Amino acid sequence: MMRDTRIRRLPMALSALVALALAVLPLPSVLETLRPDFLVLVVFYWSIESPRAGGLTLAFMAGLALDVIQGVVLGQHALALTLMAAWATHLRLRLRVFSILSQCLTIFALLTGYQFILFWVDGATGNPVTAFGRWLAPVIGAFLWPLLVGTLSRLHER
Amino acid sequence: MVAFRNTDTSGRTTGLLLRCVLYSLVALALIIVDKRYDHLGRIRRMLSIVAYPVQIAVASPFEGWDWFRESVSSRGALRADKAKLEAELRLAQFRLQRYEALEAESQRLRALRNSTAGLTNRFVIGDVMDVDLDAFRERVLVDKGAQDGVFVGQAVLDAGGVFGQVARVGQLTAEVILVSDATHAIPVQINRNGLRTIAVGTGDMGRLKLPYLSTSADVVVGDLLVTSGLGGGFPAGYPVGTVAEVKRDPAQSLADVDVKPAAALDRSRELMFVWLKPQATTPVPAAAATSATSATSAAPAASAGHVAPMPAPAQSQSAAAMPTKTPPPAKNPPPAKTPPPAGANDE
Repeated sequence: MMRDTRIRRLPMALSALVALALAVLPLPSVLETLRPDFLVLVVFYWSIESPRAGGLTLAFMAGLALDVIQGVVLGQHALALTLMAAWATHLRLRLRVFSILSQCLTIFALLTGYQFILFWVDGATGNPVTAFGRWLAPVIGAFLWPLLVGTLSRLHER
Repeated sequence: MVAFRNTDTSGRTTGLLLRCVLYSLVALALIIVDKRYDHLGRIRRMLSIVAYPVQIAVASPFEGWDWFRESVSSRGALRADKAKLEAELRLAQFRLQRYEALEAESQRLRALRNSTAGLTNRFVIGDVMDVDLDAFRERVLVDKGAQDGVFVGQAVLDAGGVFGQVARVGQLTAEVILVSDATHAIPVQINRNGLRTIAVGTGDMGRLKLPYLSTSADVVVGDLLVTSGLGGGFPAGYPVGTVAEVKRDPAQSLADVDVKPAAALDRSRELMFVWLKPQATTPVPAAAATSATSATSAAPAASAGHVAPMPAPAQSQSAAAMPTKTPPPAKNPPPAKTPPPAGANDE
């Protein structure tokens, strides 16, 4: 049991680090607004796949890392990611038997909720970003979901 | 870890709910403390050190590629580059010839007016790091931080003109908010006629706007905007942009003016952090006496070498230039005395 968790932790940490690097990778400004929230998707994957190994702690830490790296008010991404990862964990048994399309739709809803909490905190702390572009990230993230599940499940079954 | 695994196996949903509420409360507390108080600066600075390796890891392949391309570039290209740079340098030196004299003259004139707004003291060059911050905010990360003396609100220039100001300082890095950010505003002056206004960012790197000019204001396409130095954050006289378009709708009371920024906001790799001069009228003892009112803020500034409390004196003096304020009568006699020594000192 102990070994089991440790084996799961390594791919978890690795994938989170890679996703964090992807979140700050410089892109041309056209693509930049289309960048999906890689780290959020990875956190969702692990909350659904093995909530006991990391779960909300991973979500909270990943959120804090995003706050520091993006230079926004501390706790913003942590709050959004914690709430949505909890929801994903709650839904995980149903999600596993969903068809791939329903999974994508659920992930879209989760990502939109995440984006909405960020939007709300942005507004509440007095620097609102009203650009329409921010609502594109959930759509792209949802399209990317099957790809991510394929890659990550191969990675951690090995 | 073990503790929450136990809760997870015993009561799955209650454990989840409990931890969710706990973490959310911690996150909310962080948001409120970070927004309302300044206690988290140190924590954030430490966390930024932890984030630094990730940023370096992402930026280094791009820097490595740049280095590689530079090192394999052909001899011909390098020679062409060198010729171009030499030509530019010649031109710059030619322009600089009069600069020393003009600078001295400007300082004399400023001493007459007892104004020190916007003289720069010292520069530090920083490199823009190849990482993206928030896609919807115009910010860049620069590899100079608190350990180089960079402070929040500091003016940042590039080779073309005003680039932005420091928004947040980490130990090793600093975030610079661009003049084109939608939340940024900078006091400017039209170089041609001295008209003062405020340039506001639009969220688009190629465009600023002047929202506070009336339709009858004297502004035409091609006008150069320079920093006015009011407010004390920016040094005076640096180019901010040129007027690109003026739309005057007779039905509106305010004109719609677009400005093209002078700095290469989307291309610059080297930025200059600027420290403003604490007090320019040092050679004149009488002037020091007149500025005794602001000595409390000037003294720590002088001792620190680089300056945070600069805004206060600059503002008070620019305000003193207005006729409606009461201080000028009290202040007027000493400045009237200062010109002769200032002149004598310079000759």
